[in-house]
Amino acid sequence: MNELCTDLRELIVRAEARFGACDAFRYKVKSGSESGKKDISIESRTYSQLKADSERFSAALAALGEQGNHIAIIGVTSYSWVVSYLGTVNSGSVAVPLDAQLPPEDLCELIDRADVTTLVFDESREQTALLASQRCGRLKNVICMGEAFNDAQLSLWKLLGEQNAGFECDIQPDRLATIMFTSGTTGKSKGVMLTHRNLAENATCLDMGFEPNQVLMSVLPIHHAYCLSMDILKALSIGSVICINDSLLRVAKNIKLFKPNMMLMVPLMIETLARKLEEAGPLPAAIVKSAVFGKQFHTICSGGAYLNPAYIDLFRKYNIEIKQGYGMTECSPVISTNYIGNTKAGSVGKLMPNCEAKVVDEELWVRGTSVMQGYYKMPEETAEALSDGWLKTGDLGYVDDEGYVFLTGRKKNLIITPNGENVSPEEIENKLGMNRLVLEVLVRDNGGSIEAEIFPDYDYASKKKIKNIQEELQKIIDDYNKTAPLYKRVFGLKVRETEFEKNTTKKIKRF
Amino acid sequence: MFDKLADIIVNYVEVSKEDIKPESRFMEDLGFTSFDFMSMLGEIEDELNVEIDQEKAADIRTVQEAADYLESIV
Repeated sequence: MNELCTDLRELIVRAEARFGACDAFRYKVKSGSESGKKDISIESRTYSQLKADSERFSAALAALGEQGNHIAIIGVTSYSWVVSYLGTVNSGSVAVPLDAQLPPEDLCELIDRADVTTLVFDESREQTALLASQRCGRLKNVICMGEAFNDAQLSLWKLLGEQNAGFECDIQPDRLATIMFTSGTTGKSKGVMLTHRNLAENATCLDMGFEPNQVLMSVLPIHHAYCLSMDILKALSIGSVICINDSLLRVAKNIKLFKPNMMLMVPLMIETLARKLEEAGPLPAAIVKSAVFGKQFHTICSGGAYLNPAYIDLFRKYNIEIKQGYGMTECSPVISTNYIGNTKAGSVGKLMPNCEAKVVDEELWVRGTSVMQGYYKMPEETAEALSDGWLKTGDLGYVDDEGYVFLTGRKKNLIITPNGENVSPEEIENKLGMNRLVLEVLVRDNGGSIEAEIFPDYDYASKKKIKNIQEELQKIIDDYNKTAPLYKRVFGLKVRETEFEKNTTKKIKRF
Repeated sequence: MFDKLADIIVNYVEVSKEDIKPESRFMEDLGFTSFDFMSMLGEIEDELNVEIDQEKAADIRTVQEAADYLESIV
């Protein structure tokens, strides 16, 4: 049973009051053994420990004079990450979760653009922390989630050890809580500003019918709104046990270790796991399900990108329900979801109770308490996205009489990859276009992977005596791929002999 | 190692073993998704009893590169 919370402090206080001694988190810990091989054990933290540790981090920020400032958090999902996040927002400060996969230079740019004064990072982002210390002028504190790498850095757990729990702070629901970066249609990522009310109401306004103490395994990147809101905030609000998957390499192994009942996934993962189920051939469904997911597993929540409804039917044969949802970071993020007793085939779910929708020129617009405040320091982009409180989703679709949302296409020029990442084609086009051999370039989705179509500068090629243009262009793409995170890499190349068709403003016609 | 790898690859994508070449690229040529690739490496970890670095794995493009990396950690 969910109770509506209007700020994240209230969410944690209520969760702790109801589930205090229960496990909130479970995660793997590796330790050396006499044989030299690492032993793996599971550690856990209760709701009471989570609340106390996050309050200690709030107190530590106050002691550093950072209360109310912008705090960037970079790292993979971990208990320390969540403690840092909750400690930040519940001290009235603003958390800026950043994509740990981005190159250090890009992360420094985002740290500057978000006016970050304290950086919290996990041990594997040492290079980013060192670079940020040199380059980011406003940065005052650099805190490592493990042991500090140098005297200029602080150690998170040492800081917490110096503080007492019980930090109190009066949080106004409409106070800014988080800035989350998302790909922009102009190629420059935009900082989505979400308040406490945005996030807390999105996580708690709908009772999806899940019982407390359900074991959930978190496999998605935590800097994404979908993971942060559903895997962490919603899960905490309903008393789930959140198990942390330490690597995408080990999803299958970790399912056996943690024995989850539920997982939040993107379509890419569902497709791979579907093949695992089907590989088993004619064996009874219950045996196959038990081998892949364990007997206890019952629900997958899918979001981030379009899921072929055939997978919902396939998983149902194995007694696993897929709850398809729809949302975007700008709406904290859930706009609609299918849930127990409320599902409709072909729909991306029922509109959330805190959300209303209308259709303008075929585009779906939504309004409600989860809609962002705007893009950080981007008034023009904000004015384009918001109109009188209505968020223009960029998706074409409609809502039926019963409140179910149906999507029919996209208006905005963003690539949504099957793993839910939003990629701006312009960002990649700008990078590839910096090479003289690339006269015109168009980047698009090709069946789930990114493809570039290039009209090369044939005059330049002839001047430079470039004989194999295809090979040379592939080298340019390979160079770009070396620094790009996996989801932004270009896996296909088409070379044109003629220039692209243009519209009246001389822009390449995309469709 | 290449041979062992090819045996595992055919369980993940619809490709025959003889079509797998050292220079075959997992995503472009063999049709892997990024999650297929990660899942396969997870299986290899168990088979070879090794620990694979996820960040290094993300830089692997061809079957030969994967074989070389695995040789280096076995």
